[in-house]
Amino acid sequence: MSAAILQGVPATTIDTDIWVELPERQFVRLTTIVMKQGGAMLAPTVAALSDDSIVNFLPRVDGIGDFSAEFSDACWLRWQGMKIPALPLEKILASKQFLKRPKDVAHIPLLKETLRLKK
Amino acid sequence: MNKKKFEMERKRLEKFQDISEHERILFAMSLSASPDERWERHENFLRSHGLFKHSERKAFGFK
Repeated sequence: MSAAILQGVPATTIDTDIWVELPERQFVRLTTIVMKQGGAMLAPTVAALSDDSIVNFLPRVDGIGDFSAEFSDACWLRWQGMKIPALPLEKILASKQFLKRPKDVAHIPLLKETLRLKK
Repeated sequence: MNKKKFEMERKRLEKFQDISEHERILFAMSLSASPDERWERHENFLRSHGLFKHSERKAFGFK
């Protein structure tokens, strides 16, 4: 939901998901980056950064296209002095509608409402 | 918060008659803000509840 929050969805979350185009067997490279930044790995794909915030590295996002396809359609945001690519709200919604975990189902109405009110 | 942008967004949302005034304000605040402002508000919210840090959340009972 971090990408959704940056795009105006009035919600909060306790971690940030980052989709990385890396085979899972190469995720150790992310571990190296996290450790060099002063963070720690809590699980193979979950890192606690030096400020104790949580990042979840995703090898895939279900319910939408592959990384290359979605990256070409990314929503670019100016954030913390950087330009970052984010999944558009429509794609975040599509993924949550596909996954249908309870927490995804809880977010769907808020995503839909934000999309409706943005028009 | 940029009050002018907030008021413009709030006015734009008046066309949606099916949302409450509370929701109108909530969405006006969020949609009128920049990504940085939105993130700051989100972090401040977590900090105000003592839930920003992983260690704080663990103490609260989160896994």
